[in-house]
Amino acid sequence: MSILVCRLNYPLANYQLAAELTVAPGITVLLGPNGAGKTSLLRLLAGLNQPASGQIQLGERCLFDAEKRIDLPSEKRRIGMVFQDLALFPHLDVSGNIGFGLKMRRVSSSARQNRVQQLLEKLAIEHLAKRNVTTLSGGERQKVALARTLATDPQLLLLDEPTAALDPAARGEIRRWLQTVLTQLNIPTLLVTHDAEEVAYFRKRVAVMEQGKIVQQGSFHQLLREPASEFVARFVGVNYILGEVCEQAGKLIFCSRGGAKFLAPFKQVIPGAAFMTVLPWDIALYRELPDGSPRNHLYGEIRDVVILGDRVRITLEKEDKLVAEISTRGYLALGEPQPGENFWAVFKAREARIENCEELPC
Amino acid sequence: MKRPRLFTLLLLASGLALGTLILLPVLALLLAASPSGLLQLFNHPQVLQALWVTLLSSLLALPVIFSIGLPSAYGLSRCNGRIRRSLEILLELPMVMPPVVAGLALLLAFGRRGLFGELLAGIGLRIPFTLGAVVLAIVFVITPFFARRCVVLFDAIDKKLEEAALLLGATPLQTFWHVTLPVVRRGLFAEGVMVLAQGIGLFGVIILFAGNLPGRTQTLSLAIYSAFESDPQQAFGLAALLLLISLVLLATVHLLAPRESLR
Repeated sequence: MSILVCRLNYPLANYQLAAELTVAPGITVLLGPNGAGKTSLLRLLAGLNQPASGQIQLGERCLFDAEKRIDLPSEKRRIGMVFQDLALFPHLDVSGNIGFGLKMRRVSSSARQNRVQQLLEKLAIEHLAKRNVTTLSGGERQKVALARTLATDPQLLLLDEPTAALDPAARGEIRRWLQTVLTQLNIPTLLVTHDAEEVAYFRKRVAVMEQGKIVQQGSFHQLLREPASEFVARFVGVNYILGEVCEQAGKLIFCSRGGAKFLAPFKQVIPGAAFMTVLPWDIALYRELPDGSPRNHLYGEIRDVVILGDRVRITLEKEDKLVAEISTRGYLALGEPQPGENFWAVFKAREARIENCEELPC
Repeated sequence: MKRPRLFTLLLLASGLALGTLILLPVLALLLAASPSGLLQLFNHPQVLQALWVTLLSSLLALPVIFSIGLPSAYGLSRCNGRIRRSLEILLELPMVMPPVVAGLALLLAFGRRGLFGELLAGIGLRIPFTLGAVVLAIVFVITPFFARRCVVLFDAIDKKLEEAALLLGATPLQTFWHVTLPVVRRGLFAEGVMVLAQGIGLFGVIILFAGNLPGRTQTLSLAIYSAFESDPQQAFGLAALLLLISLVLLATVHLLAPRESLR
């Protein structure tokens, strides 16, 4: 079973790419904002660009080592890469595209046809075999591109935003298809995306890249519960509030920059700069402040209401901005709040997670 | 309706002038040659010989031009920065050289007393005033044009296609042969026809380097020149014939012109 271990440095236009990453067999989602260096990282792994320093180890094989002056050319790395724009060969039909890698390896014509046929069946695209690739739909092109790569038995798969160019209906289908196909393969797979839905779908292993660095690696659940940065929090849709932890009458309290005060469990937290995260679906909305257990609350004006099927996202703003996600039934029970109305956002102290951070960015 | 602006009228007028400039002489030439006159040309053995020399030399030059021009053009399209600019200037040098000067230069390089003349004579090769000289002249003049246009073709290819081929295990040579060339194949066919069309029209360089020997180095262009002095009527006929050949080649180029998607 091969595992990818890499440590790479490469100067990009605005910053240095300095990524350390371990990819085990199975799908790892590489998530990051546009321009974070995700595609650059894939190109370095594939040998299409040369890192300034670092190593790439794939299973037993060393693909790149700056110190030992090892730099395997792309054609010897046995890495399968599906480009964002797929780069299907326009002069070959679907079968020709899928069989290309085998032909280059001088695999006999009959063995090649068998393998292509086998892949076409496995990926359920036999009906496309003789089609011209320029006439395929987006989803079909995606499937052919993956089939073409799989035909050469890669030991590492790199998929650059495989669903970004598809319409929403095809996107869901391709995601399910990818999941099925890739789970059977069980080779290390790095799937680049900047789509939150995609991360939620391939939720098991996620690596987050920001400004050329891997800032967090973990499950989607961990990203939700413990976002390592503001980007991660905003990306997964978690409320992220900057402030500081203060001591008041022997008890710790979180004071947001906007001036609101919140209670939390304060595990392993010391007074000083910190941020608070709270999940939107842990926040309830009330017209009147309810009595009872000690809860955090913020009275604010509704800025934005977005109805997402059976959920409603409501943005509330006063000292701080909080996004609450409630059920549509709850929304109707509240009398369909509209922007401009004032509401209480309420959440339990134990739903708030506080973590110390470095000096506050201004 | 909107009144046409003065500037638009100006553009229209100059376009019309240019069109007339091109079409009027063409028309005059075609009117001067009757179809029966054209057919009669084929009864002259000298005309047939000139036609043969023209076609043979162009067809012989074609593979040489491709095998030198294509790899160079591909290499150049992979270069960047200062190296590329210097190489492009080198490529432009023969393009701006007047054909007569090119003929003399070739003679000085490959002639009996030229730079390589003795070397070639030593192995029993005498190039000037042979069909080989016609071919060499065509290669010398046309290859830079051909390479220049191929660089444009190669530059337009999506680099990701080649990268995808490499990642599928193709060596750079396999990638060039199985991806790059097939992707630009229509463009290359068109360039091949263009080479023929250009080669057929050469005059100055051939008459100086290869001479005007009927049946050996006299191409159609040279035959026109000779005929003009003795039998102008035949010269007009030959000119019309050459024009028709060029028109056919031009039409072919445009039928083949790259329409393939370069994705």
